[in-house]
Amino acid sequence: MINVEDLRKEAKRILKEGKVKYVIGYERDQNGLLPKPAFIKDPDDVDRMIWDPTCIHNLTKFLVDEKKRKAAEKKPDERPVGIVVKGCDSRAIVVLLQEKYIDREDVHILGLSCENYGVIDEKKLAKKLKGKKAEKIELDDHGNFVITAAGGTIKIPADELLAERCLECPANFPVVYDLLLGDKKKKKVDEPFKSLEKMESLSENERWSFWTEQLSKCIRCYACRSACPMCYCDECVVDTINFAVTADTTATEKAGKIKWVEKSPAPSENFVYHMVRAMHLAGRCIDCGECERVCPLDIPLRFLNKKLEKEAKKLFGYMAGFDPDEPSLVSSFKDEDPEDFIR
Amino acid sequence: MDKILLKKALPQWVKKLQAYRIYAPTKDEDIWTYEVVNTPEDIDLEFLTTALSPKKIIFPQREVYFEFEKPDVDNPDIKETLPEDDPTIVLGVRPCDAKALTLTDLVFGGDFKDVYYWKRRNQTYLVGLACHTPPSPNCFCLSVDGSPHSKEGLDILLTDLGDKYYVESLTKNGDKLLNLAKNLFKLPSAANKKEYQKIQAESEKNLKRQITNLKKVPPKLKGMWDSPFWDDEAMSCLRCGICTYMCPTCHCFDINDEVLSSTPLKGKRIRTWDTCQFPDFTMHSSGHNPRPDKASRLRQRIMHKFQYFVETYKNYQCTGCGRCITKCPVSIDIIEVLEKVRDYGS
Repeated sequence: MINVEDLRKEAKRILKEGKVKYVIGYERDQNGLLPKPAFIKDPDDVDRMIWDPTCIHNLTKFLVDEKKRKAAEKKPDERPVGIVVKGCDSRAIVVLLQEKYIDREDVHILGLSCENYGVIDEKKLAKKLKGKKAEKIELDDHGNFVITAAGGTIKIPADELLAERCLECPANFPVVYDLLLGDKKKKKVDEPFKSLEKMESLSENERWSFWTEQLSKCIRCYACRSACPMCYCDECVVDTINFAVTADTTATEKAGKIKWVEKSPAPSENFVYHMVRAMHLAGRCIDCGECERVCPLDIPLRFLNKKLEKEAKKLFGYMAGFDPDEPSLVSSFKDEDPEDFIR
Repeated sequence: MDKILLKKALPQWVKKLQAYRIYAPTKDEDIWTYEVVNTPEDIDLEFLTTALSPKKIIFPQREVYFEFEKPDVDNPDIKETLPEDDPTIVLGVRPCDAKALTLTDLVFGGDFKDVYYWKRRNQTYLVGLACHTPPSPNCFCLSVDGSPHSKEGLDILLTDLGDKYYVESLTKNGDKLLNLAKNLFKLPSAANKKEYQKIQAESEKNLKRQITNLKKVPPKLKGMWDSPFWDDEAMSCLRCGICTYMCPTCHCFDINDEVLSSTPLKGKRIRTWDTCQFPDFTMHSSGHNPRPDKASRLRQRIMHKFQYFVETYKNYQCTGCGRCITKCPVSIDIIEVLEKVRDYGS
């Protein structure tokens, strides 16, 4: 079992010694079900940091933020940023390293093992609690979540509350870290793509109508894009204007910019947006599940990513986010790469 | 005109309203949304806060302004496309969402009356449902001059009395809707009235969240434009549009041409929702962006709602529905932000 005091101690040390600018972790939200991201600058504030199975967020998106902020500063503080990561989150860092978006020196990684379990699914928890607010959630020694809420304590088997992605997690401990807390024991996952079975058993027409219905709900708030650490482009195809506009860009050039996706939330446009998003994550998505979690209309976006993850594995034997020294899937070529799907 | 409607008679009333298109909360797995209902069975009036408010019916995310065609350069054909005649009822509107429409009315009803908005607004009747227990843990309507049983903006207000509704018709349109099924509505007894008052009093006590002394916030905001406060508060913001798109009072939009064919030139001019939280919202044609970061965008959201709108329209541009709090992926909590503003520097 991880003692959160060990995490706080290390955070305090690196802050006190001036090794990092600040530490990104989790803190309790007084009013919500979930914790919220915490940005700790003062060593005396480390007691705010928490660690429990509600620490769902993938905080690595804030590394992308930090890079962009630094780029805008005249004299940036070059020290690294401390960050708390789970197994999946650490794989996002690996992808960012592979793609040379960040350097290893930019980040001081405080890795936490999920110790054979993982994080809870917010919606599953809300259903079990029927509107009550969980005050404390812990894992006991028998694989149950022990939840303290108004009116007492309830015990729920972990599998009933864990996020879908945790049930299919290929490595529930950080693969890259400066400090690792907890067990580095690999959970055995027999069926890493089980959640896809139902979707794959549907006919083409059934899948078409399923996605037409789901994507029609999309209001294009772009929360899925915003939460994704892999979505770091300065210029996104869906934005109505092009960011590469400078004072020298002529009116003709501006008028000639191609608009790939209309702003209308029509099914056709929503399809293009979600196709672009999904395809750009092929061989990159590390299945942190943030896109699906943040969707305010409950669109099951993880299906799209997971399917591409499966294709990458099947065709190229590639799993994203395990080796920072390995070239990324989409930027590498091997003689033995299959090409029978090119028609 | 106060009446009583038995809950089991509600489907009969709905059937009498067939001449109207009826929107009501329907449940899809874990969330409620307002959809056009074809049978009374689809209506779920035991609903918690809906994903989007009825704003989406009056001010849809996409509105076609006109269609254009340019067969020859000098004579473009332009066809106005006003919303069609389609008398509509929204059944089960929360008081906060109805009040929100009275605020967007101020924006679209100034010197320039927005014809698209008013065409829909004037043919839509709002049947409200008072709250007893708050439909969201983050409801705070009482703090922003609203209440769980506010009648503002509604044609009819229903109050749940267990097996019946206490029905108050508030406008002539409300009377019209009740008169379509006169025999279903009975006069309330003294006991019904007492129960109704009790529920109203309880509903205010049931609210869990509030901001005290909110009136201190607008003047305080005036001096906070350059404050580092916004950088700290926006640190965790992801730059998505959830808070504004889910907001029942946010009303900003963008106008684009959707070109269907280039020769001959043919297309539609459309209006879509837009949000101050996206970088291209304020992007200038020169490439300069006066709101370059998320701190300035969070500041805009707060200042618009609690300073500029207050100055212009004498109302907070917030009705306390709690959607932006509940749905924010990183738990940015407008109540906490406002409390910090209120106490800033003291």
